[in-house]
Amino acid sequence: MSEVQRRKYSQEEKNAIFDGEFMPHIDSMYNFGYRLTFDEDDAKDLVQDTYLKAYRFINSFEQGTNAKAWLFRILKNSFINEYRKKSKQPTKVDYQEVETYYNSDDVHYQSTSDLRAESVKDMLGDEISNALNSLAVDFRTVIILCDLEGFTYEEMAKILDIPIGTVRSRLHRARNLLKEKLQGYAQNMGYNTDEEE
Amino acid sequence: MNENPSGERKMQCSDESKCFELLESILDGELQDSGKEVLKEKLAKCQPCFEHYHLEQAIRDVLKTKCTKHAVPNELADKIRQQIQDIK
Ligand SMILES: [Zn+2]
Repeated sequence: MSEVQRRKYSQEEKNAIFDGEFMPHIDSMYNFGYRLTFDEDDAKDLVQDTYLKAYRFINSFEQGTNAKAWLFRILKNSFINEYRKKSKQPTKVDYQEVETYYNSDDVHYQSTSDLRAESVKDMLGDEISNALNSLAVDFRTVIILCDLEGFTYEEMAKILDIPIGTVRSRLHRARNLLKEKLQGYAQNMGYNTDEEE
Repeated sequence: MNENPSGERKMQCSDESKCFELLESILDGELQDSGKEVLKEKLAKCQPCFEHYHLEQAIRDVLKTKCTKHAVPNELADKIRQQIQDIK
């Protein structure tokens, strides 16, 4: 992910990298963009913008390294630097606020909910999606990267430009918040949340 | 996974914070082989760890398998290729 240009690719190599290593991730990129913005047009703009930047800076991509992580990092930065600046309604909680509010990586891991695995398994895709979408963008982002896209902590650290310890603690908090939401649904739906079956 | 009914497990975890952090890292694929033995042991002996593991696993499973995906608009890939052509 270094910005140093190693060497210049020929036009043919550029095409091969773009088609072979970048374009196959368009699905994941679009879904990431959509889950960040909740808007089809904004998601399309973010993805287009990301691919144009990827092409423009293709010489700083090292062939054989993780293209998907490289592209996700560009999309995330475009979202923060450009999309959010021009968006009229800033998101309620932004990265800075979250960092100051939860300024420690030192999380105490404990059971925070009576939610049961069985009720989670019975939930519908829409309920899961809604719960995820209701989280503040930083928390939503780590869950998308880890659980939906399968990135490792190390890859996430690079994509988000944060230390691995922060990835781990943010992910833990994000899942706890998600559990609270899911527990709310479980109670509304009358799922069994606090007793053995 | 369920072969050991809760009968033999202790009901209090001796260090929930450490154990849960470890379980969550294992579920995220961050500890490969070294984690497996520890995991077996915890799940067999500790009820809170057992329950936490299964809840966390269920959450990851539903996120992975059920979260609604959005189809990429057909014209998007073509539009991108066209724009790249234009700047070449
Ligand atoms: Zn335990």
